[in-house]
Amino acid sequence: MSFRKAVNQLDFLLIVSALLLVMTGLLAAYSLSLGDGESSLYMRQLSRVGIAFFICIFFLYIDYEILTYYSAVFYAFLLILLLGVLLFGTEINGSRSWLALGEFRMQPSEPGKIVFILFFAGMLGQLKKDYLSYAKMAQCTALGLLPVGLILLQGDLGTAVMYLPILAGMLWMSGVRIKVMLIILLCLLLVAPAGWMMLKDYQKLRIKTVLNPELDPQGIGYQTRQSLIAMGSGGFFGKGIGQGLHARLGFVPESHTDFIFTLLVEETGFLGALFVLTLYLIMLWRLLEISRNSRNRSGLLITTGVICFFFSHLIINIGMATGILPAIGIPLPLLSYGGSSLMASAAALGLAINVNIRRFANT
Amino acid sequence: MEFNQDNKIFFTRLRILQVVILIVFIGFSLRVWQITVARYAEYAELAERNQLRRINVLAPRGLLLDREGRILADNVNSFSLVIYRNKSDCVECTLDDLCRELDFDRSEFSAILEENKSVPSFRPVTLSERLTMQQVSWVLSRYREYPELDITEAPIRHYRYSTLASHVIGYVGRISPQELKTPSYPNPKPGHHVGKDGIEKTYNTRLMGRDGLRTVLVDSVGRIQKELRFKEPRKGSDITLSIDLDLQRIAEESLGERSGAIVALDPVSGEILALASTPGFDPNNFSAGISRKKWEDLIQDPGKPLLNRAISSVFSPGSIFKPMLAAAGLESGIREENTPAFCGGAITLYGRPFRCTSSHGEVRLKEAIQHSCNIYFYLLGQELGIDRIAEYSRKFGLGSPTGIDLPNEVSGLVPTREWKRQALGEPWYAGETISVAIGQGRINATPIQLARAIGIIATGKIPPLHILKTTGPITENSQVGDAEFAPEHLEAVRKAMWSVVNEWGTGWRAMVPGFDVCGKTGTAQLIGREVREKLTDEAKERFTHNAWFTGFAPLENPEIVVTVIVQSGGGGSTGAAPLAGRLLKTYYQKSRGIEPEPVNQEPGNEESVPEPAAASAMENTEGTQDQ
Repeated sequence: MSFRKAVNQLDFLLIVSALLLVMTGLLAAYSLSLGDGESSLYMRQLSRVGIAFFICIFFLYIDYEILTYYSAVFYAFLLILLLGVLLFGTEINGSRSWLALGEFRMQPSEPGKIVFILFFAGMLGQLKKDYLSYAKMAQCTALGLLPVGLILLQGDLGTAVMYLPILAGMLWMSGVRIKVMLIILLCLLLVAPAGWMMLKDYQKLRIKTVLNPELDPQGIGYQTRQSLIAMGSGGFFGKGIGQGLHARLGFVPESHTDFIFTLLVEETGFLGALFVLTLYLIMLWRLLEISRNSRNRSGLLITTGVICFFFSHLIINIGMATGILPAIGIPLPLLSYGGSSLMASAAALGLAINVNIRRFANT
Repeated sequence: MEFNQDNKIFFTRLRILQVVILIVFIGFSLRVWQITVARYAEYAELAERNQLRRINVLAPRGLLLDREGRILADNVNSFSLVIYRNKSDCVECTLDDLCRELDFDRSEFSAILEENKSVPSFRPVTLSERLTMQQVSWVLSRYREYPELDITEAPIRHYRYSTLASHVIGYVGRISPQELKTPSYPNPKPGHHVGKDGIEKTYNTRLMGRDGLRTVLVDSVGRIQKELRFKEPRKGSDITLSIDLDLQRIAEESLGERSGAIVALDPVSGEILALASTPGFDPNNFSAGISRKKWEDLIQDPGKPLLNRAISSVFSPGSIFKPMLAAAGLESGIREENTPAFCGGAITLYGRPFRCTSSHGEVRLKEAIQHSCNIYFYLLGQELGIDRIAEYSRKFGLGSPTGIDLPNEVSGLVPTREWKRQALGEPWYAGETISVAIGQGRINATPIQLARAIGIIATGKIPPLHILKTTGPITENSQVGDAEFAPEHLEAVRKAMWSVVNEWGTGWRAMVPGFDVCGKTGTAQLIGREVREKLTDEAKERFTHNAWFTGFAPLENPEIVVTVIVQSGGGGSTGAAPLAGRLLKTYYQKSRGIEPEPVNQEPGNEESVPEPAAASAMENTEGTQDQ
């Protein structure tokens, strides 16, 4: 495939909206560095964007068929990495999910999501039938839960949870019957109380405080409440870039990562929120279009995985910031400050573009 | 496209996903609208409240000055250690660390926390005041380790002469929870220092001034980011006392280690020139929050150092009551100035022997006072009767507070038949009148009352006593105006008192050449003679006589009244008169410009004050305070 041809196939709306989101994230990082008088936050994020760009290129350059072909190898490698983290990992913020190699630190569970997508696209993409067999489904579920289990062992509930929508979405798109979905849902409901028992006290409290934010205004409910206050005080137009005192002064924790949406709304108001939400919507819309137009089943499954990856992160993160869902430390894709999440998002976008530019290629 | 057409199920499911995505996005948009637009006002107000903190800036108290403008009390900036209990998981651990590292008293801290249990935990609690530089820098350098600790700067009271005039000045202390509820303090806030005794208490409102207010932007852990507004605190008004520091010092030095009191006042204006009570205390100990130990030491001290003996203790006046009774005799018409009485050294009245100091022979009013003849007054008292004695005593202001502007003044007792029936349910015995006639028995008074009574004799007017030096009239004082005694009667008593000092009477030791001192000594028995004789020598030592001297000078146009009591000081002639003499001499020399006694102008007690950290200490640190 020639370069010119590839460029002609690019979905510009997808790329532009993604770039605008990354730039918004940079703006937020910049806004935060304004208050500190040091630009390190902004500069570091800028360099990460550069790396992310090359990762994106890498994932769209190699034909996704090749990537899925070798995905079992990636999957095995992921399992080894996760085991390695479990054994030699560094603990940050209470979860042992970081692998430190000298100065360089990474969280294998973030790029793991991409491997996950490729692996299941490889496994399920070869199927020909409309509906998924029980055996295949059981096999996929088992293989899917294996890395999830390892990440849970690291103590990183948030990240582990984020694998499930990807798995569920891809299984669904591979043709799990409605009947089976309902049965699984029922089972989940039955297991829920047991799961509740297994949760740690602070996790239980987080869920409780969503139902009743006044329960613990100084503790867990505090974060959510402060987030709401910060956003609410932004009003329709926001307080202006660099004026988001509330998020800036530390009332809202992690305002550059997990609560970036809060900072954004405080500074740019309802309009800013609408802008960002619209960008995400356009992105997902284009991804759905790519999925629909993909050349084959594995392409469709890859984009489905990417959609589920973005969509689930959006729901959890914005749901948390707006006080609808319990506080789970999940970054907002493309916007949040931080390397691992940005790299994973870039790779996911690269895969989607990969599928898109090869939609007319011969099978 | 072949692939998609073959798999209609993908199409359907993608559609479903699309719809779900759309619904979620609409839902989020509505939610954000609800937060940012619908509930904007509510959240905006909460945000404002979250970020702004109003910090009360304590106003320095007004200065206390003596009559010549010398500063008795001012303020020094001190750094206090406060703790925000809500910011620590383990307050006790922090306190343990503090005590280990900085040598604080752990039990003291526990007591403070206990006291502030009901205070909301986000309010700072002051753990210690008057920190040293070392302590301040220790805390500030561990800002991250102990975010719950903070240093605040506040003016605290400093008494330049420590114990000098401690009972006049009183002391200040942190407002107590009970005081917060009383209306006697204006806009009381926890942490305020208020006057607890003395002038500090009486004029607390005037001295306190108005607090300032800093409005600051804080971050989530309460660190100050920026100052938005600053309303300067307004210092309290300065108060000039009528006290003369030189006289006060002489008075306290004269009393020395002995318990007692000295009052010196201007009988015309009513200004108190000196008011000493010993033992005293150092009010500086209270300024920085007195420790439990020191407080207990003070209140358990048998010498009762906190007690202002000049106004809050009552004593039998003894013989210094005699000039008053003499005036009563003249005023009632029972005695003329020259009516004689015969003193044989003892007399039997109502079947009981009553003794005199010696055998004075024929005495008239002058000799009776000059040599303090008991017999003359036994007979006079007997004729007057207790109720008339009481009537005239009241005219001299006994039995009711003088209304001086100091707290805790007591009224003393002028007994009557009626009083005894009501208070004790017993009839008055005639023999008791005889004791009262020489200032013994049931009658008692405070030194300040007796000083004022002498003032009345000296001037014929009731001096309006006050410590606040003012040019205007003092309104709140009780009796002001002319005394109800004929001038010639008081004149006779004055002449007799002159002879007590200047014609080798009992008070000659108070003589100041050139100053016509008039006076009267007194030796008041603490217990009855019969009981005393049964006591051991040691007990006799303890329960001996109170020595009194009271007088004024000069005879014409009196300027000063002095009353001295030395508890267990023996005879008034030797125990009290010399002290009065010394004070009067100082006054005389000072007022006449005769080689003033050398007096240290600057206090020499700097070492006793714990080194307060200098304000510059803050500049090197994180700049959390900017005053």
